[in-house]
Amino acid sequence: MVAVNTSQDYAGFVKGKLGVIVFLTVFFFNPAQVLADEPKADLEQFRKAVEPMLKRACVSCHGPEKQKGKFRVDTLDPDLLKGEDVNWWLEVFDVISNGEMPPEDAEVPLKDTERAAVIDWLSGEIQQASRVARAAKGRSSFRRLTRYEYDYALRDLLGLDHSLVDWLPPETASEDGFKNSSELLQMSSMQFQTYRAIGLKALRRAIVVGEQPRPVKYVLPLEKLFERTSASQKAKIFRRDDEKYAHHRRRSHLLNRETGVGVPFSGGMYRPLDAAAAGQVQPSSKVYMELPRNNEWKVGLDRFLPDEGTMRVSIRAARSTEDLPGDATLRLGFSAHTSNNANFSNIISERDVPVKAPAGKPEFIHFHIQLGDIQRNPFRKLETTFPRRDEFLHIRNVTLVNGLHVQFDHVEITAPFYEQWPPKSHAAIFFESKNRPDDAAYAREVLERFMTRAWRRAVTQPEVDRFMKLYGEYRPQFDSLEEAMVEVLATVLTHPEFLYLAQRDVAEAPARISQYELAGRLAVFFWSSIPDEELLELARRGKLREPKTLAAQVDRMLADPRARRFSRHFVGQWLGLDGLESVDHIRDDALKTAMRDEPVAFFEEVLKHNRSVMEFIHSDYAVVNSKMAQHYRIPEVHGVHFRRVPIKAECHRGGLLTGAAVLAMNSDGKDSHPLKRGVWMLERILHDPPPPPPPNVPEVDLADPEIAKMTLKERIADHSNDPACYSCHARIDPWGIAFENYDAMGSFRTTIKGKPVDATAELFNKQPLAGMDGLKQYLLAERQDQFARAMTHKLTAYALGRHLTFADHADVGELTQQFRGKGDRLRDLIHLLVQSRIFNSK
Amino acid sequence: MRTSEAGSFTRRTFLRGTGIALALPWLETFAADSKQAATPKRFVSIYHPDGVGVPLREDPAWKDWSWFPRGGEKDFELTKVLDVLEPLRSDITIYSGLSHPAVRRVHGHSNADQYLTGADTKGHGPYKNSISLDQYYAAQVGDATRHASLVMSTNGGIGGPRGAQTQSFNREGRPIPAMNKPKQIFDMLFVADGKEAAARLARSKSALDLLIEDTRSLGRKLSKRDQETLQQYLDSVRDTEVKLTKARRWLDTPLPQVDSSKLDLECGPAEARQYFKTMYDLIYLAFLSDSTRVATYQLGRENGEGPHDLLSRAVGLGGAHGLTHSVKKKNGWQNLGTYNRYQMEEFGRFVKKLKDTPEPTANGTLLDNTFAMHGSASSSFHLSRNYPIVSAGGKNLGFKNGRYLQYVNLLKDGSLPGAGVISDSGWRGVAKEEDQALGHLFVSILQRLGVETDTFAGCTGTLKRV
Repeated sequence: MVAVNTSQDYAGFVKGKLGVIVFLTVFFFNPAQVLADEPKADLEQFRKAVEPMLKRACVSCHGPEKQKGKFRVDTLDPDLLKGEDVNWWLEVFDVISNGEMPPEDAEVPLKDTERAAVIDWLSGEIQQASRVARAAKGRSSFRRLTRYEYDYALRDLLGLDHSLVDWLPPETASEDGFKNSSELLQMSSMQFQTYRAIGLKALRRAIVVGEQPRPVKYVLPLEKLFERTSASQKAKIFRRDDEKYAHHRRRSHLLNRETGVGVPFSGGMYRPLDAAAAGQVQPSSKVYMELPRNNEWKVGLDRFLPDEGTMRVSIRAARSTEDLPGDATLRLGFSAHTSNNANFSNIISERDVPVKAPAGKPEFIHFHIQLGDIQRNPFRKLETTFPRRDEFLHIRNVTLVNGLHVQFDHVEITAPFYEQWPPKSHAAIFFESKNRPDDAAYAREVLERFMTRAWRRAVTQPEVDRFMKLYGEYRPQFDSLEEAMVEVLATVLTHPEFLYLAQRDVAEAPARISQYELAGRLAVFFWSSIPDEELLELARRGKLREPKTLAAQVDRMLADPRARRFSRHFVGQWLGLDGLESVDHIRDDALKTAMRDEPVAFFEEVLKHNRSVMEFIHSDYAVVNSKMAQHYRIPEVHGVHFRRVPIKAECHRGGLLTGAAVLAMNSDGKDSHPLKRGVWMLERILHDPPPPPPPNVPEVDLADPEIAKMTLKERIADHSNDPACYSCHARIDPWGIAFENYDAMGSFRTTIKGKPVDATAELFNKQPLAGMDGLKQYLLAERQDQFARAMTHKLTAYALGRHLTFADHADVGELTQQFRGKGDRLRDLIHLLVQSRIFNSK
Repeated sequence: MRTSEAGSFTRRTFLRGTGIALALPWLETFAADSKQAATPKRFVSIYHPDGVGVPLREDPAWKDWSWFPRGGEKDFELTKVLDVLEPLRSDITIYSGLSHPAVRRVHGHSNADQYLTGADTKGHGPYKNSISLDQYYAAQVGDATRHASLVMSTNGGIGGPRGAQTQSFNREGRPIPAMNKPKQIFDMLFVADGKEAAARLARSKSALDLLIEDTRSLGRKLSKRDQETLQQYLDSVRDTEVKLTKARRWLDTPLPQVDSSKLDLECGPAEARQYFKTMYDLIYLAFLSDSTRVATYQLGRENGEGPHDLLSRAVGLGGAHGLTHSVKKKNGWQNLGTYNRYQMEEFGRFVKKLKDTPEPTANGTLLDNTFAMHGSASSSFHLSRNYPIVSAGGKNLGFKNGRYLQYVNLLKDGSLPGAGVISDSGWRGVAKEEDQALGHLFVSILQRLGVETDTFAGCTGTLKRV
């Protein structure tokens, strides 16, 4: 059997030289087959073709005489199926197929045919051994939900629009960079208790008790403010048709649309309307507030906002002009100044919201803020007036475009705000039912429906019974069914069936996950959450695994807005974008946010149009918004949304490697950091992580004047000349040096401190890399297989939520082949993965 | 349940010397539990606002009214500010040159928030704090007592960001409301009604039972390896149950009985001396009855105006905060020093009381097993450096007292860095001599209290010479 060879750049190495036809054996979904065949190691071929070659070419350095790299090849057990040396053989396979061994200057070189014979035998044995390992070893994705998955699951389940998990500790990333890796998702009693507290808090927000509380409502009286201010500050009045208007309009002001008279204004203290007035608010005004860029209206709300609930801030806003390209954007802040040095001021809007409406045609923008979650003025209920009790809402224009203002003619603040009463979140749990008058029957119905949704599977009667018993115990302690039920449902949400992704052992199909478990796995893969009704229903009917249905569901899920979570979390973890938080040299927060969003947007572009993953290495386009375009000096990109734009070679961008986020986070704060960048390349892109540095690695002595005056590249070269460091650095550094044309901010450069940039490097296998262009060309010419495999590996590890082992080697190889065969397209890979055995196994 | 008539008053005689009759029924109850019987290790921190007087060496007031002592580690001489502690000289340690690095250039008025946390709370804009030293310790020892900690302040509540009215912050950096009414504190400690708490615990208990049972049955459907993962969950639920049982046991255990007739529980800050003394007495009683092993008391919020400003009336002076602004006026240093002296007098009285009370487990005195610290997050005039800190006790924890530990070099003229600062350019300026990070002292304290940690608030390692 000629097995599939997918690893490393074997294809590149043999191309055109040997004319070997690599064909693939598609491995069908039948794990039993492997066992039935009782596979054996092909020792005959080893003795005949491989062993003599290894003896001749390798043993002089890796044998009884010398053990370079502390490695002996002659003592390796050639039985990969039963022996202990599989990992060593994987190394041998890699270095021989990459042409790294034997070294250029070896006494005995390997002929191409010999090399091919070794690779051929090894690849076959590795595949076979991996399959045996897969069948033998229980792998598992049984794991707890991550912090963010738990958050989304709660929000989707309860219909809440805000995050609830800031009490939970952050997750640790695995060696692969993934936070959803089963072995790292721990549980402690502190964490368990936090889940309980969060569950209760979330339920209390979703469920309401009693009558609808009367909301506090503020309407900022623009016309009255205008009259009052223009009367009291006559000297400051100006007219729109004044020559000096251009000067006046740089500060926030009120303007009468009809008369063209304006007056500066930006503050004020307001009181809520009484009930009668609140009922008759007319959202129209002949006066509007004009808010220039980086200006704000600091709205004093005194001390009347309630403690809890949603505060809705509705602003009817328009852009000041259509002549300037780009978006006008608004942001909300909240502050208090309780005494002279005691103050705070926080941003409370989750993101900056673009104002799209053209001048003169304002449209409503709504912000929803959880009053219980933001920093409030703790003195607001004081009976005395000091410390000060008032709170302030800041409406700020954070537009990036000079001269683009926001005009608004109506501002309304309501709290607590309810879209309807009872709110949807409540009605979804306490639905209409004929059982409603019967407390116990209705409680059972409520529980059963809630448990099914939360546990993403049908629940059994004994399971519901146990919760009914709890309900029976709690009910007399509370006035209403709803209040008692909150406590019971909190236990449903701290149950392992909610917190964990479980795969049960079932006798009839021991290796395969159930249809419900498949629904759960899909939901956590694409939505980082729980399945919706449609997925659960398909699972219940046993239809979900039908290939056509499954494919349709994948497309449906990817088209859903929740799929943005997949792009964001997968790309963030794959590329390690949290690294941006560990450097402090990016002072512009808006730029930092845009940097982080860019690779996600790029991924979404490739995913949406099912483009080749090779575009991650290089593309003739970039996916940018105005902020990133400015950073990259790409002209004519306006607005905060990311979009695909064609770029020229002079731009030196395209693909993920030259994204500013990757470049900036792999810097030392002042300059580029070739070592970090090299390690990043190997770990994230090529999935060939270098070993960790030895414990007694010598520090680079920066106090040495000789070293201090070297360039970073020279310093690295000097460090690598140390024999203790050379063998590893020779594999890492060249990759990073090829990035030298990009500085710590990810900007392109041709000189460093007046000297021209030297970004040429030579890989361990003597392959020269001429800067970033050379690196990309080399990857695309010689390393496509390796990258495709790395991509498959990363996506599979993320989708399964576990570390992949040798037992998965064959599955990953097969998937890689299939997706390469279809043109390396990302969406194809996702479809293949979802339909594969590995995705449908435990 | 408070039926402790029989047999539980036996310790009353033993404690008579304290002036307050106190019965400790649970000491018998838990006598069999060796862990409970071990001598408690206690921590208390007193915070005072507005810093202290630190005149220049050349200033005539230096000799008498500089808060910091003169001289070296052992041969130090106390000035008139601290001389009230002279009788306790061998029980105290005074520190100079310690401060938290992150906010050294933030106005002193904003910094009470971070005195026990060491967080970078900044001077304006977004605000984030982190866990305080007392709560870090309470997380470890809190289960052993009825109350994990006792958090008090003269102003009460939490105050505002950069204007804290509590010294204690939880794991998420959120302020823990401080109690300020003696009656309320007394009732919580000695006359609480546990009915609502009992019902809540009972509900949790039933929920945990259900979870344990369900988790076991889920485990049976999982592979061996997955069962190991689930075991961690089960352990967490069980740990929670153990905690709950402990809490339950406290509810069933009769409260210590304290005769409150000697306490003035209705007093407020207007009766400064009485109030101050009562607050200290409550800490003392809470420790003595082993109701808690952790306490903080913030004598006042930073930046004047508030009930704590009344405390300086006890020594016949006006608003406490105003004193720091008037040091250059006639008798200015003396007035501020007099107020600080009064704070020390009360602290000394408290320390003396701990010293005079034998530990109920007969292992030395209460003071030997208590680390008590007293300090502020500014020294002279809004300057967030060189915190004036005195600690007392802790002999059985490994603290060696009777010393003046100096962690910053004196300037050429013999003044402490930052001395004589009387304007706002002072606190904004760059230090001529850099302080040591106070976090190191916190690590030392935690380790001696038995917490296994090498870092606190990003500060690694203990403080040398302590």
